[in-house]
Amino acid sequence: MIRKKIKIENKLGLHARPATMIVKTATQYRSDCRLIKDDMDINGKSIMGVMMLAAEYGSEIELVTDGIDEEHLMNELVNLFKSKFNEE
Amino acid sequence: MTKKIQGLAISDGVGIGKAIVIIPQEIVINKGEILHSEVSSELERFENSIQHALDEIDHLIENYAYTKNNQNILKTHKMILKDPEFYEKIKKLIQENLYNLEQAVDQHFKGVIELFSKMDNEYMAERANDFKDVKNRLLSHITNQKLDQMINVCSENIVIMPEITPSEITSVFDKNIAGLITETGSKTAHSSILARSFGIPAVSGIANISKEIDDDSLVIVDGYKGEVIIEPDEQILKEYQAIVEKDKRDKGKLEKLIDQKVQTLDGKVIKLKCNVEIPEEMPQVQRVNADGIGLMRTEFIFLDKEELPDEDEQFNIYKKIVEKMGDREITIRTIDVGGDKLSKILNFTKEQNPNLGCRGIRVSLLYPEIFKVQIRAILRANKYGNIAVMFPMVSSIRELREAKKIVQECINELENENIEFDPNIKIGIMIEIPSAAINSDFFAKECDFFSIGTNDLIQYTLAVDRGNEHIHEYFQPLNPAVLNLINLTIENSHKNNITSAICGEMASERKFTEILIGMGIDELSVSPGQFLAVKDKILSINYKKAKKIAEQVLQAGNVEEIDKIISS
Repeated sequence: MIRKKIKIENKLGLHARPATMIVKTATQYRSDCRLIKDDMDINGKSIMGVMMLAAEYGSEIELVTDGIDEEHLMNELVNLFKSKFNEE
Repeated sequence: MTKKIQGLAISDGVGIGKAIVIIPQEIVINKGEILHSEVSSELERFENSIQHALDEIDHLIENYAYTKNNQNILKTHKMILKDPEFYEKIKKLIQENLYNLEQAVDQHFKGVIELFSKMDNEYMAERANDFKDVKNRLLSHITNQKLDQMINVCSENIVIMPEITPSEITSVFDKNIAGLITETGSKTAHSSILARSFGIPAVSGIANISKEIDDDSLVIVDGYKGEVIIEPDEQILKEYQAIVEKDKRDKGKLEKLIDQKVQTLDGKVIKLKCNVEIPEEMPQVQRVNADGIGLMRTEFIFLDKEELPDEDEQFNIYKKIVEKMGDREITIRTIDVGGDKLSKILNFTKEQNPNLGCRGIRVSLLYPEIFKVQIRAILRANKYGNIAVMFPMVSSIRELREAKKIVQECINELENENIEFDPNIKIGIMIEIPSAAINSDFFAKECDFFSIGTNDLIQYTLAVDRGNEHIHEYFQPLNPAVLNLINLTIENSHKNNITSAICGEMASERKFTEILIGMGIDELSVSPGQFLAVKDKILSINYKKAKKIAEQVLQAGNVEEIDKIISS
């Protein structure tokens, strides 16, 4: 299991498009994927969950991946966040 | 009792039929509980309904969602349906609470929708609508109730709706209904454009009409006059039935022409193509078997947008259209709006006289960064079909040269970036400013084709605003000055071995077809709704005779004389 904290750096936060990008990425891997923010702990493969986080610019969330390809998945997710979801 | 209501004429034709009033409403569901033994069949029902909803969304994406924004919304909806948490939750509600599928789905979405609509973030709160949409779509499949109630509509019906939302457009025009009445909507609304393309009589702009007409009452839609008649008496009904019968006979005759070659009685081949304003018209273009698209407008991509559509988005729109036409030529006109229409995107100061201001190619040359995105997208889409590109509002050679230079730059860039594209593209100009017509001999040496935009050519030649009703008698397509400019353009194009087309409204009016052919026009491009009527006209023309008439007309000095010649 890998855990990593990451800050949301794109101005619009995790709105619909970034949320779909996260889910799309997560569902390509077999590992479990969770996103944790404040008291919310949601399945990263669930669009409903990711959108419900309503994570805004500057907020911090924790990524958790767990399974045989957890490392690859974590790397891809981190890249997505770092690239600000290709928005800026 | 006969009741007449005046509205706005949207699309020609008369429709008589039984009214169906379509008011958006919640889907009726039977909530309830099931037995243990029914759990597995209920789950199967759940999976089937998800599959049907997904298929429906795919169909919408494939056929109707041309902009990236619309596609993204629908893709998010697919993701909501495929959400593993959603699946588990419903499964649990069915297995453990023994809810029937309707109740499970209803309860689940109720919670989600409430949660989202309460969010502080306004954007996220609006996402509640996405979940509402998915809920309704899913429930419509579960209960076999069509979302928009169009399922009960047949070709004998007059459909009455307060307004047509984008997601309803498809089902409205899929049905080949007898007529359409809406409370709101203008002539330029997408649904109006489609009504004309599909040849469905339509009237709009009648407030509260959906409350005034009861289901099953007999209604006449007069799309010529913009009138709606409710429960007509026998005499009125008879009059209108005669019109419908005649229209039907005419239409039936025209339908038989679809497979015929477009040529005059004495064998001169004319290319007959369609003008397309929005991609939703494509089914009609394909149905009438057009030789191509003579004018593909691209304004729909830019108008009402907060930000400019990027290259990939434009590329995908063009590609989708191009692929539908096979190897038939599609002439894409680069963006033709006044700078004021892009005010949401550009900082544009208001102009005193926009018709003589920064519009057409002038906007593109002023903002080459916007122009380049469009040109690159077109060049990339050209790989998938046969595209020609044309520039609007060209007044002097310099503009053509500059625009061509930018096309060359885009070709070089794409080559260097190793991006797939096809550099073999014909470049032409719209002839719609008198200076371009007068100088057409020079222009013809530097481009591959002309397309005459008669609406603007008349406006600029006669200094008359077409939209101004007070001076509409000054808007004269048959004015000798206009006809001589058209003739000069055609002559000069042929002298230089290039072609001339007409894509303005003169091409759609049968009254003008003979003299245009007589002047030697190579191509006519008309709206899909007029296509077969113009084709019928062309088939009845003798080119040699038309040539003589054109010669006579060009000698005449005034409109009245010309009118007399062409109607004799």
